Amino acid sequence: MTNYIKLTFVLVLLSFTSCSDVIDVEVPTATERLNIEASIDWQKGTTGNEQTIILSTSTPYFDTTIDNTVVGASVKVTNIDSGTEYIFTDQNNGTYTISNFTPVFNNTFTLEVLYNNEVYTATETMIAVPAINRAEQSLEGGFDDEVLDVTIYWDDPEAEENFYFSKFDYQELLFPNLDTGSDEFSNGNEMDEFFERDKEDDDGNSTEFLPGDTVEISLYGISERYYNYLSLLLDQYYGGGNPFSSIPAELRGNCINVTNSENYAFGYFRLSEYDTLTYTFE
Amino acid sequence: MKHVFLVIILGLSQFIFSQETHTIRGTVKDFSNGETVFGASVFLKGTTIGTTTNEYGFYSITAPKDSYTLIISYVGFEDIFKEINLNTDQTLNFEIKESETLLDEVIINADEPERVNIKKPQMSVSKLNSTTIKKMPAVLGEVDVIKSIQMLPGVTNSGEGSAGFNVRGGAADQNLVLLDEAIIYNTSHFFGFFSVFNTDAIKDIKLYKGDIPAKFGGRVSSVLDIRQKDGNSKKFTLNGGIGLISSRLAAEAPLFKKKGSFLIAGRTSYAHLFMPLIEAVEDSKLSFYDINLKTNYEINENNRVYLSGYFGRDIFDISSLIKNQYGNTSANLRWNHVYNDKLFSNLSLIYSKYDYQIILDFIQLDWVADINNYNLKYDLGYYINEKIKLDFGVSGILYNLNPGEIKPTDETSPINYLKLEQKRAFESGVYVSAEHKITDKLTAQYGLRYSRFSRLGGQYITTYIDDQPLVYNSLIGIYEEGEENGETFYEKSESIKTFNNLEPRLGLSYQLNDFSSVKASYTRTSQYLHLLSNTASVTPLDVWTPSGKYIKPQQANQYAIGYYRNINDSKYSIELETYYKTTDNRIDYVDGSDLIGNNNIETEILNGEARAYGLEVMLRKNEGKLTGWLAYTWSKSEQKTTGGKAGGPGINNGKWYNTPYDRTHDVSLTGIYNFSKKWDFSANLVYQTGRPVTYPNSQYIYEDLSIASYSGRNESRLPAYHRLDLSATYIPNSNIDKRWKGEWVFGIYNLYNRKNAASISFNQNEDTGVNEATRTAIFGIIPSVTYNFKF
Repeated sequence: MTNYIKLTFVLVLLSFTSCSDVIDVEVPTATERLNIEASIDWQKGTTGNEQTIILSTSTPYFDTTIDNTVVGASVKVTNIDSGTEYIFTDQNNGTYTISNFTPVFNNTFTLEVLYNNEVYTATETMIAVPAINRAEQSLEGGFDDEVLDVTIYWDDPEAEENFYFSKFDYQELLFPNLDTGSDEFSNGNEMDEFFERDKEDDDGNSTEFLPGDTVEISLYGISERYYNYLSLLLDQYYGGGNPFSSIPAELRGNCINVTNSENYAFGYFRLSEYDTLTYTFE
Repeated sequence: MKHVFLVIILGLSQFIFSQETHTIRGTVKDFSNGETVFGASVFLKGTTIGTTTNEYGFYSITAPKDSYTLIISYVGFEDIFKEINLNTDQTLNFEIKESETLLDEVIINADEPERVNIKKPQMSVSKLNSTTIKKMPAVLGEVDVIKSIQMLPGVTNSGEGSAGFNVRGGAADQNLVLLDEAIIYNTSHFFGFFSVFNTDAIKDIKLYKGDIPAKFGGRVSSVLDIRQKDGNSKKFTLNGGIGLISSRLAAEAPLFKKKGSFLIAGRTSYAHLFMPLIEAVEDSKLSFYDINLKTNYEINENNRVYLSGYFGRDIFDISSLIKNQYGNTSANLRWNHVYNDKLFSNLSLIYSKYDYQIILDFIQLDWVADINNYNLKYDLGYYINEKIKLDFGVSGILYNLNPGEIKPTDETSPINYLKLEQKRAFESGVYVSAEHKITDKLTAQYGLRYSRFSRLGGQYITTYIDDQPLVYNSLIGIYEEGEENGETFYEKSESIKTFNNLEPRLGLSYQLNDFSSVKASYTRTSQYLHLLSNTASVTPLDVWTPSGKYIKPQQANQYAIGYYRNINDSKYSIELETYYKTTDNRIDYVDGSDLIGNNNIETEILNGEARAYGLEVMLRKNEGKLTGWLAYTWSKSEQKTTGGKAGGPGINNGKWYNTPYDRTHDVSLTGIYNFSKKWDFSANLVYQTGRPVTYPNSQYIYEDLSIASYSGRNESRLPAYHRLDLSATYIPNSNIDKRWKGEWVFGIYNLYNRKNAASISFNQNEDTGVNEATRTAIFGIIPSVTYNFKF
C-alpha cells in the first residue's frame, strides 16, 4: 500500500511536467558475490517433493554477456524440527534439484551451501497461505477505467499478522509482475490484489488485456522478514531511484557466510505455500 | 536561569551615563503608501549616535542634551535633515519620499541592508525587498521568494520539482519559515515549482543563514522571516498580474480615516481550465490558490493593532483515481505598544496549520493528516542609551500533531479505520539579547535563549524489550524493529519527556576603516520538531514529528567569520564568509525504512550527527545601469550515523557520507540592466555540483528479474546542474502621473534547454530485459509572458 502512495507522487510529477530519456551513466563496480535463489515453493494440494535452488554470481550492473551460473557447489536443506536432511543434486547448469523434499508448515529449515570453500547458511520457516477465493475481471478497478483488469480475492486470517506476495504472469510479459502485501491496514478482511496492463505502450501499440487473454496468478504466504526484504527489493526494482522513492541501499537477505561474514550472499532462502489460478478474460 | 538574565541586565546598566540625556522616538513611514519602513538609518549628524528602525518602523535615540541635525536615511529615498534642540524627550514621526532622481537607476540598492552594512554586528543575513525580487527572472512568469533566495551564496535546493531550500548544507526542515511570524510548514505549491508566498503581499524578507538572533528559536539551520505589507494607508490601490499559468490581484486601501489600512491579495492558477483540452490529461485537475490578508489600526501614538492571515491550497485530481489536497493556514493578531520613549513592545497571538488529504480510489483509501500550533509571544525592545539596545521576550507554542487518519472510502473497501497516535507538545522560550557599541569600532551583539520543550501526554507510547525500538540483527547484518513489550498511557496533564537547552548567541563586528570590517559569530540552536522524510525530495506527505522518549532534539553549533568591504564609494561591495557547523542528533533512516502510516517511527531511525563547512563569496555591483551580484559557495555537508544503542555499524557502516544537500560548488550570477525608461533586462546564471545519489554497483537475477545492488549511501553524484534564465520588462507608458500603470514581463527559463537531471533511475527494460539508466528532467526551455498592472 505504501508503494501506491509513493507512486502517486511519481505519477503526478511525471504526468504533468517531466521528460525522460535513457542516458549513459558510469556506475561503480563491486566485487562479485554469490547469489542464492533458494525458493522452496509448495503449491496447495501437491506434495511439494520437487524443488529447485538456483545459484549464480553477481555481475557489473550494465553487463549483458557474462555467464554467471555456479556449478560445483553442494546444497543441503535440513528440517530442524524433524532432523531430516535433503541433499540437492547439481544439474551443472546453475540449478540444484531434489525430488523427495517434504514440506511441513511452521517447521524451521536451514539451508547450507558450500561454494569456493566457503559455507553459506540460512534459516527460515515454512509459511501457509489462504486459498484464493475467486478472480474477477472489471473495467472500473485498477488505474484506468477503460481497460480490463483482473482482481483476486482471499480471506485474511484475523488471528495473526499475515504477509503475502503475489505473482501475475502473462505470456506477453518478459517478466512476471510481483507485489507484496500485508494485512497492516486490513486485518481479518477479504483482501484483494489487482493486475492491469496499460492501454498502449510508448510506441502506441495496444497492450491492454483483451477477452481470451490468459493470466496465471499466484499468491504466496511469506514471513515478515522476507516481506520486508522483498518489499524493499521490489520498491528498488520498480522505483529505482526516482525522487520520491527512499534512498536505495544494498539489500541483505538471510544467507550468511559463516566462513567469511563480509562475503555474504545475495538472494534469500524462503519456504512458502502458494495458491495458483489461471484466469481467461471474457 | 533568572539569575543569568539579571546578571546581564545589571552588567549592561553599568554603561548607562550619568550625564543628562534625552530621547527622541517615532516611526518612519513611506510617504507614498504609509507603509512602515524597516531598516532605515536614524542618526545624529557628526556623532556616532544612531539606530535603525525596527520591523514596525519604530526608532528611539538617546543623546546628551544639545542641538543636533537628525538625519533619516534609507537608500532609494531622499534623506531627511531635521534640526533639533534636544532639551526634552520628544516624538518625531517621519515620512520619507522615494528619490526621483535615482529612481531610474536604483534597483538593487533600494534598501540599505542589501548593501554591505559594515558596522552592524549582524552577519550571515540577506535581506531582499519585493522590488528586487520582482526584477529577477522567474519560471513561468511568477516572481518567487524561494527561488530568489537560492541565488544567494549558501542557499541551494534539490532542483526542480522539490520543495523547500537548503541553507549551508542543512536540511529543508531545519529552516524556520515565518510569514508574519506564523510558522509555515510547507513552502511550496506544485511540488516546489511555485512558493506559497505571493510577492504582491510581501514587504520584505530576511534570511538568517547563521548568527541567528536570540529572539528566534526552534530550527537549527536558518530563519526566513517574511513580512507582509500593512496595506496602503494613503489611497486605494490595485495591483495585479495576468500570466499563462496563474494570475494575481491585490487591493489595498486606507480604513478609519487613514488610521488604519488593509491589504487583500489572491492568486490562483488556472492551468486546470486548459487541461480538458489536452487529451493526455483531460480527466485531471491540478491547481493552487492562496489568499493573503492584512489589516491594521492605529489606536493612538502608542498603540497599534495588526491582523494578518494566509490561506493556501494545492489540489490534484488525477483521473479521479488520486485526489490530493494540501495547504497552509495562518493567522496572527498583533498589538504594538510603546511603553515609553525607550521601550517598545509587541504581543502576538499566532495560529498556523498545515494539512493534507489523499484519496486513492483504486485501493479505496482516504488519508488525512495535519499539524497545527498556537503561539503566544511577547517581544520587547529597550533602547537603553546610545550604546546599548536590549531585546528580550518570551514565547510559548502549543503543537497538535495528527500524523495520520486512514479511512475506507466506501463499504466494500478492504481498508480498516486507523488513527495514528495524536501527539501534543509545548515549546517555550525566554531570551535576552543586546546590541552593544563597545567602542567606536567594536560592536557586539550577544544574547542567550533558554528553550524548553515538553512532549505532552494524551497518548500511548510503545515500550520495547531492553528499551530498544531498533535492533541490529548481527547474524544477517540488518536493522530490524525491536520487540514490543507493552504500552504506557500518559495522561493529558502529564509530560512524557521534557528537554531544556541554553542557546548562547554572539556576534562581533570590528570596523577596520570607513569601508571595511570583520565580523565573527557563534550561534547555538536547538530544534525539537523533525520532518520525517526518507526520500531524496521533500514531499507533501512527509510527516512532522516532535522530540520525545525516542527522538532527541537536534542541536547545532555554528561558527562563522567574515570580511566585508565597500569598494569605490560603495559602488561595489564584497562579502566573504566562512562557516563551520555541527549538528547533533540528526536522525537518519535505516535501509528500507517505512515511514508511511507508522505509529512507531523510532523503529526505523538512528541518531546521527552532521557537519558542514564552507566558504561564501558575494560580489555586488550596487549602482549604475547594470547592477547585480555574483555568488560563489564552496562547501561540504556530511552525516555520520552509528548504531548507538541499537548496536551494529550504523548507516553506511558508520562512516561519514554526503548529505543529499551537499554541493561542492555553487555559483549564481544575477544581473539587472536598466536599459531605458521603458525596458529592463535581467538574467540568472546558475551552476551547481550535482546532488549526491546512490548508484548500483552490480546486478543479480532474482525471480527472473535483474536486481540492482546499490553502493554506499550517496557515493555518486548526478551530473552538474546549470541553466540560464532571462527576462525583460517593458513599460509601455512610464508617465508617473498616470494612475494606471502597466508592464509586460517576458521571461525565458532555462534558455539553452539544458536537461538537468532531477533524478536518474535504474531499471530493467521491460521489452529487452537490458538494464538502463533513465534520466528525468523536469523543465526544459520555458517561455512566459505576464502583464502586471497597478492602479
